[in-house]
Amino acid sequence: MSWDGFVEGLRSFVVWSMDATAVPIIIYFILINTSLLLLIVLAYLEFRAQQRRRSTAVSWQGAGLAPGVSLLVPAYNEEAGIVMAVKSFLTLRYPRHEVVVVDDGSSDQTFARLAEAFDLVQVPRELPHEIPVRATVLGIYVPRDGRTRLVVVRKENSGRSEAINVAINAASEPLVAMIDGDSILEPDGLLHVTRPFADDPTRMVATGGAIRPVNGSRVVSGRIVRVEMPQTWLPRIQLVEYLRAFLLGRTGWSRLGGLILISGAFGLFRRDVVVEVGGLDPDSIGEDFELVMRIHKRLRDEGRDYAIEFVPEPVSWTEVPVTAKVLRNQRRRWHRGLWETLWAYRTMLFRRKYGRVGWLALPYYWLFELIAPLLELFGILIVPLALALGVVNVPYAILFLVLAYGYAVLVTLSAMVVDEWAFHKHDRWRAVWQTIAASVLENIGYRQATVWWRLEGWWSSLRGKKHVWGVMTRTGFDEDAA
Amino acid sequence: MIVGAALLVGATVVILGACVLLIIAVVAVRARRHSRNQRDEMLLSPLRQPLITVAAGEDDDGTAAEELTWATGVSRTVLDRNIAEMLTKVRGVPAEQLVHVLEVHGAVDAAVDDLTSRSTVKRARAAQLLGLARAERTVPLLVEALGDESVEVRNSAAYALGLIGDPVAAGPVLAAIGAPERGLPAATAAEALQSMGVGISGVLRDGMADPNARTRMVAAHLSGERSFTRGLPELRRLLDFDPDLTVRETSAVAIGRLGRGEDVGILVSHTASSEPLALRRACVVALGELGETEAIPALVLLLGDADPRLAELAATALLTMGPDGRHALAGHDDEPAVRTARLLASLQKASA
Amino acid sequence: MSAPAGDPDASPVRVLVADDDADIRDLVEFKLTQAGYAVEAVPDGISAWEAFAANPPQLAVLDVMMPGLSGIDVLRKIRESEFSSVPVLLLSAKSRDSDVDTGFAVGADDYVIKPFSPRELLHRVNGMLARAR
Repeated sequence: MSWDGFVEGLRSFVVWSMDATAVPIIIYFILINTSLLLLIVLAYLEFRAQQRRRSTAVSWQGAGLAPGVSLLVPAYNEEAGIVMAVKSFLTLRYPRHEVVVVDDGSSDQTFARLAEAFDLVQVPRELPHEIPVRATVLGIYVPRDGRTRLVVVRKENSGRSEAINVAINAASEPLVAMIDGDSILEPDGLLHVTRPFADDPTRMVATGGAIRPVNGSRVVSGRIVRVEMPQTWLPRIQLVEYLRAFLLGRTGWSRLGGLILISGAFGLFRRDVVVEVGGLDPDSIGEDFELVMRIHKRLRDEGRDYAIEFVPEPVSWTEVPVTAKVLRNQRRRWHRGLWETLWAYRTMLFRRKYGRVGWLALPYYWLFELIAPLLELFGILIVPLALALGVVNVPYAILFLVLAYGYAVLVTLSAMVVDEWAFHKHDRWRAVWQTIAASVLENIGYRQATVWWRLEGWWSSLRGKKHVWGVMTRTGFDEDAA
Repeated sequence: MIVGAALLVGATVVILGACVLLIIAVVAVRARRHSRNQRDEMLLSPLRQPLITVAAGEDDDGTAAEELTWATGVSRTVLDRNIAEMLTKVRGVPAEQLVHVLEVHGAVDAAVDDLTSRSTVKRARAAQLLGLARAERTVPLLVEALGDESVEVRNSAAYALGLIGDPVAAGPVLAAIGAPERGLPAATAAEALQSMGVGISGVLRDGMADPNARTRMVAAHLSGERSFTRGLPELRRLLDFDPDLTVRETSAVAIGRLGRGEDVGILVSHTASSEPLALRRACVVALGELGETEAIPALVLLLGDADPRLAELAATALLTMGPDGRHALAGHDDEPAVRTARLLASLQKASA
Repeated sequence: MSAPAGDPDASPVRVLVADDDADIRDLVEFKLTQAGYAVEAVPDGISAWEAFAANPPQLAVLDVMMPGLSGIDVLRKIRESEFSSVPVLLLSAKSRDSDVDTGFAVGADDYVIKPFSPRELLHRVNGMLARAR
C-alpha cells in the first residue's frame, strides 16, 4: 500500500470514527458538564448554609454528647516523624480520645523511638478478634505513666489495611478515625468531624473531613502555623484538584445523601459498624472506598436508617507527591482501586433499595470518574490526528479545546470562590494568582498525563486481575511508605 | 462534525466569560472582607478603649460605660455586635455593665423584633443576643424560635435558652430534638439542658418515653450526667427494651453512674453473650462504676469470656471493688486479662 | 488593684499573653498592665513560642484554642524547653474539662474558664507568681 493510500485510509477512518462518536461524545460532554454544574449548585447551596452556620455559630466544645474517639495510626518505617505525630495527636482538642499506633513490622527505629519517648511498658493484653486478622501480633505497649492515652501494637508486616484492622481491634472508644502517620491535623479538627455524631447520635455512621496539601506550608511541632502555596507547580496543581474534589464533589454528594467516598487520610467511623461489616478489606486497593461501599450496602440491605456526612472544614493536611513518578504510582493505584470497587459493587447499580447511592452516586462514578479518562484519551488522540489530516480546520479544533478545558477551569474557579468565601485559608494575594494559574496550567500536560496513568492503573487490573492481587497490594504499601 | 461552528463559538464565549466573572468574584470576596474589616475597625477604634476598660472591670466610676452608651448609627451597630461577642468571653460585673449598655442602646428590643426577620442570620443572631443579655422575659419567644424553619436559628435559640438557664424551657428544648424535618441537633440541646437547674428531672423522665431515639438518648444521657435518680425506672426500661442500641448503651452508662444495689441484676443480665458486644462491655464498665460487691460473682465469670476486652474490663472493675473484688481475682492470676488489668492499675497508682 | 509583689525598684514582672481573639488579648493585656505587669501580647501559638524562646517571661497566659499551635502545644514546648519552670495559666473555653485535664497532664499550673472574670484572672496570676517565688 502506498503512503498516499495509507493517509487516505487513515483519513477516512478518522472521519468515520469522528462521525460515529460525535453524538455519544457530545451527549457525554453535555452530561458531565451538566452534572458538574449541578454539583456546583449543590455545593453552593451547601456553602451558603455553611456560611450561615459559621456566621451564627455558637461555640461547641464537645461537652456531653461528644463520643470518645480512637485515632488509628498505622506506621511503617516512620521513625523520623512518628513521635512528633503521636504527640500532636495526643494533644488535639477533644474531650475523650486515645491514640492507637500499629507498628506494621517496621525495619527501622519506629518502635524504639516511641518506646523511648513515651517510656513504653509491655502489657500481657490479648486483643479482641472482632475483625479477623492474619498477621501475628507481637506485643502491646502502653506508656509507663498509666495516664497518657496511647496504645502501641507491634505486629508482623502485612500492610496498611491489616494494620488498621488490628488497630480497630485494639481501640476502645466508640468512634475510630483512620489517619496516616504523616497527616497533620487541625487542633480542633476532631471537634469538627465528630459534630455530626453528636448532633445525630443514633443515625450517623461515618463522616469525612476535607484534606489539603501541606506542601510549602510552615509546620511546627506537627501543626500548621502558616498556610503557604507549594513551591512547585506539580503540587500546586494538586492543590487545585483537592479543592475541587473536596469542596465541590464531596460537599455536593453529601448534600444529595449519596456520599460514597471518604478519604482514608481522614475518615471517622462508628467502630461497631466497621466491626459489623468486617473492617478494611486487606485485598482491596481502594480499601477506604471499598469500606464505605460495604457499609452502604450492608445498612441498606438491612433497611437501617443511617447517615454518612462530609464535613467541609479542612481538618487534615497531607504531603502530596512532588515528582511525576510518585504521582503516577498514586494515580494508577487510585484508579485501579476505583475500578475494582465499582466492579465489585456493580450489583448495587439501579436497584431501588440502594436509593441515591445506586441511582445517582454509583452511575456518576462509573461514567465520569471511571470512564472519563478513556474518552479523554480518545479526544487527545483524535483531535490532533484530525487536524494533521485536515479533517477539521485549526480554529475549529482550538475552539473545541478551549471549550472542553475552559469548562474544567470554570469548575475549579467555582471551587475557589466558595473556598475563599467560606474558609479563607490563604492570606496572600499571590496565592490567588497562583491558584488561578494552576487551574489553567492543569490542562496543559498534567491532565493528559493523569489520564494516561489512570488508564494504566485500570489496564493493569484488567490484565492481571486473577493473580497479582497480593503482590500489587504490597506494592501499594511500599509506595505509601516511600 | 455535527456541532455548528456558531454554537461552539457561543459556548466558548459563555464559558470564558463565566471564568472571568468567577475571577472577579474571588477578588471581590477578598476585597469586601478586607474593606468591611477595615470599616468596622475604624468605626470601633474610638470606642475600643472604653469597651476594653469596661470588659476588664477597670471602669470603677462608670465613665467608660457611659461613653459606650453615646454611640449612634452604624458605629452603634458595630459596637453592639462587639459587645455581644464580648459577653461570650467575660462574666461578672463587667458583663452586667455591658448588658446595661446594650439595653440603653435598645439592642435587646431590636433583637426581639429581629426574631421575626426574614433573614436567617438576623434571626439567629437576635436569639443569641437575647441569651447573652440574659433577657429572661424573652424565654417564650425563644421557645417559639426552637421551631424555626432554619437549623441555625433553632440552634441559636437553644443556646440562648441554655444561657438564660430557665428550666421552663427544658421541655420544649427536649421535644424540639425529635421535631419532624425541623429537629434540633442533639448536641446543642444537650448543652442547653446541661445548664438548666434541677427542675428538669421530670422533663428528662418524660423524654425517655419519647418516640424519637435521639430524644430518648439525650434524656438518658443527661439523667446520668446530672445524677437524677428519679429517672432510674425509665433508664432500666430503656436498657431492657429500647430498640436502639445507642440508647441502650447510654442507659447502661447512666445506670452505672447513679444506680443502686438493686441495679446489679439488670446490668448483669445484659452482659450475657447473646447481647451485642458493645452493650455487654458498657454494662461491665457500668458495674465497675456502680461498685456494688453483689456484682463480683458475675464479673468473675466474665474473666474467662471469649472477648478479651470484656474480660479485661471485668478484671478492671473487680480491682476497683476493694478487698472483696481483689480477693475474687485470686484464682485467675494466669489470665492475661487479669494480669493486664493489674499492671495498668499499678502503673496508674505509681504515677498518681 | 494590687500591684505585683516584690521590690518596687526592680523592673516589672514580665508576662506573655497569647490569644488569637483580639478582645481577650487586649483585655488581659490592659488588666495586667493596670496591675503593674509588663505584658507582651501575641496573636497565635507560634508567635507565643517565638516570643517565649527569644526572651522567657516570668509567667505565660495561653489561650488553649488558637489556630496552628494551640495553647497546649505551646505549653508542651515550654515544658520541654530549658525554661520549663515558668508558670503557665491556660485560658480554656467553657465546660471543657478535658482541656483542663490535658492541660494539667502537659504541665499547666492553673487555668481560667471562659467566660471569665478579669478580676479572678488577675488574682490567679498574682497567686501563681507568689507561689513561684
